[in-house]
Amino acid sequence: MSTLDHFESAFRSASKDTFTWAPPHIRKILVITDLDAEASAQFQASLEQFLASALASVPGGAATPQWRLVKGDDYALISELHRLVEDWAPDLVCTYRNLHSSAWALEFSLGEFVDVLTQATPVPILIAPHPKRADAAPHALRDTDVVMAMTDHLTGSQRLINFAAAMTQAKGKLWLTHVEDELAYARIMQTISKIPQIETDLARKLIREKLLQQPTDYVEACRAVIIPQRPGLDVRPLIVMGHHLSTYRQLVRDHRVDLLVMDTKDEDQLAMHGMAYPIAVEIRDIPLLLL
Amino acid sequence: MPPLSLLLASTAPTSEAHEVPMSITLVFTALLLGMILCLAFEEKIHAKKSLIAGVFAVVCLLVGTAVHILPFGPVIVGGHEIDMPIYIPAIDWGVIAIILGSSLFIDVTSKSGLFTWIAIKLTKASKGEPRRLLWLYGLMTVVFSAVLNNVTAMLIVGSLTGVSLKKLGREQYLLGFLLVEGLLTNIGGLLTLISSVPNIIVGTAAGISFVEFFYKASPYVIVATIVTIAMGVRLFKIEALPDDAAREQAAAQVQSFDENDGIESQGFFWFGTGMTVLFVLVIATTSVLPWVSDLGMGFVALGFAVIMLLRYKSSVDQFYKGLDWDLLGFFAALFVVINVMEHAQVLALIGTGLAWMIGLGETAGTALVLVSASAFSSVTDNIPLAAMLSKILGNMGTPSTDPKWWSVVFGANLGGNLTPIGSASTLVAVTIIHRYKLELSFAGFVVKALPYALIQIALAVGYVLLVLA
Repeated sequence: MSTLDHFESAFRSASKDTFTWAPPHIRKILVITDLDAEASAQFQASLEQFLASALASVPGGAATPQWRLVKGDDYALISELHRLVEDWAPDLVCTYRNLHSSAWALEFSLGEFVDVLTQATPVPILIAPHPKRADAAPHALRDTDVVMAMTDHLTGSQRLINFAAAMTQAKGKLWLTHVEDELAYARIMQTISKIPQIETDLARKLIREKLLQQPTDYVEACRAVIIPQRPGLDVRPLIVMGHHLSTYRQLVRDHRVDLLVMDTKDEDQLAMHGMAYPIAVEIRDIPLLLL
Repeated sequence: MPPLSLLLASTAPTSEAHEVPMSITLVFTALLLGMILCLAFEEKIHAKKSLIAGVFAVVCLLVGTAVHILPFGPVIVGGHEIDMPIYIPAIDWGVIAIILGSSLFIDVTSKSGLFTWIAIKLTKASKGEPRRLLWLYGLMTVVFSAVLNNVTAMLIVGSLTGVSLKKLGREQYLLGFLLVEGLLTNIGGLLTLISSVPNIIVGTAAGISFVEFFYKASPYVIVATIVTIAMGVRLFKIEALPDDAAREQAAAQVQSFDENDGIESQGFFWFGTGMTVLFVLVIATTSVLPWVSDLGMGFVALGFAVIMLLRYKSSVDQFYKGLDWDLLGFFAALFVVINVMEHAQVLALIGTGLAWMIGLGETAGTALVLVSASAFSSVTDNIPLAAMLSKILGNMGTPSTDPKWWSVVFGANLGGNLTPIGSASTLVAVTIIHRYKLELSFAGFVVKALPYALIQIALAVGYVLLVLA
């Protein structure tokens, strides 16, 4: 019954996803290093400066959150670190990749400590550029003037957007970015092109438009809710089709992003969600917030 | 009451030239019954209406020619004799023009986003409160059925019901909503002369004007709508929301519908709105408008369709493809079958049954015509019934003020609420119900719909006898 489907599609399209303002309460921040006391304190100081403006403008957050520093000699095993995190129950963990490993000089992993932390605890992990690397972006760890929430499924990603909005300092720019997988789209279109009952050119045009329209509409819904709560914040959509990794890298570079926020949890798997892991591995010059 | 012999004589004015043996009449009666049975079991035999009626039209024409009951010869049009195949003047082209024109007009107008805009505005007005939603959807079903057609109304309201109740997390009310809406399509279909095909056929045959039809039918439609929705709330236990938090959440959920989503062009939206209002106005006043009154409602419907099609002048073929050719083919074939039945004296034979009913007295006869028309149209298509009965009543010389015309109108429309196959719109309602994986068998539909249908028919009998007689 094609007419029924026509009207159902029209009403489903008119039914927009809503966004609810629920900023995170960041009252306790745990800083984890593998350094000595002095270098660790220096690392914490840089983080305090980096997050100061953002934390001050988070509605409902503590003006001066409680900080705790865990240094290199406070733990040796992953299980010890995990217990430390669970016992103190922070609202945010700040660290860097390749803890207790010389692999930080290479570019192929986050290191086993960070791997486990991101998946085994529900606490968001902020991964800063490694303190010993000299190739951090010049604007890294200075402020959160430009924050980018990035995903391949923006619609309905309320936690991601709430965190990103909370971490953006007053009068900062918040990019809500959705990268639609060009390869998956091409594969579906190739299949459609082999089905005589579906008009290929029309399907190509309409599917592309709808794929990009949904996140665009959602950003509008987010903007309408966020602006009254965070006046002065510049909330912008960035909805593109692309090959995930290269497109992510390019977007981050083009917009001089100070903090990249991504979802990493996936209910269906133990490993990080989708493209989050390769992006976290490859984008090393700016801080990343992994939810 | 007119004498039976007079009634019989008047039912077949075109075949007075020859006597038809009873055996031939009975053969054609069997053919008519066969067609009606096939139409009733359309789904079971997996054949479309147009094909069923087409096969019977071909057989009737062949047999009718073989037994010499068909009056071949030239046809007189505007004082000129024209040679024309016998099956061409058998078709009521006025009815076909109305259906073709209004289907095209509605199809193009729906592209403007007008109907989805109205539907979403009403959803928002309900604030997501289930009872208010049922009342508003019920009223919308009736109005859409009256202005559009029953099937389109059910498609719009039914599909929105599915989407909105799912959004509100009230899937448990889906069955009740869809069933009540399905039943209301046949109530709304009574409101105007162009709301349903039986209305068009009977109204045209009786010479009832659009305005007269509206003011005579509307009081019943209002009462029946209120009773049906109130019963729906009660029988399907549609509960009000328990507290302010639930009301606030529901209101936020329906607010997230964007009524402008389906509007591609604001200009075309307003043009569609204006044209719809104008269409209703011109249809309503066709009988008094100079020139237009001569051309008729079919011309009005086709004229408005052509104007709307100008918006899509390079792609009008998409709308031609979307037309319900099965329905149009069915009408054409059906008119041919009925015409042959008239020549075979089958209508005169049925007229004896009708005469017997009428012979029971003005009150009992009129009531019995309505009830039997309901019963008949509950198991098969109401269009052949309306076409047959209006032909018989017309041949009897029944005046347009006679309540029996209304018995046919009410019976043919309301009978559709007794079974899921009684009308196309209830069939659509059942299709949507099954689409949402809800269990509803044929018997299940009858059990659930029977209280509503019986009350609607009882109300109609009372209304025809007390108000229209």
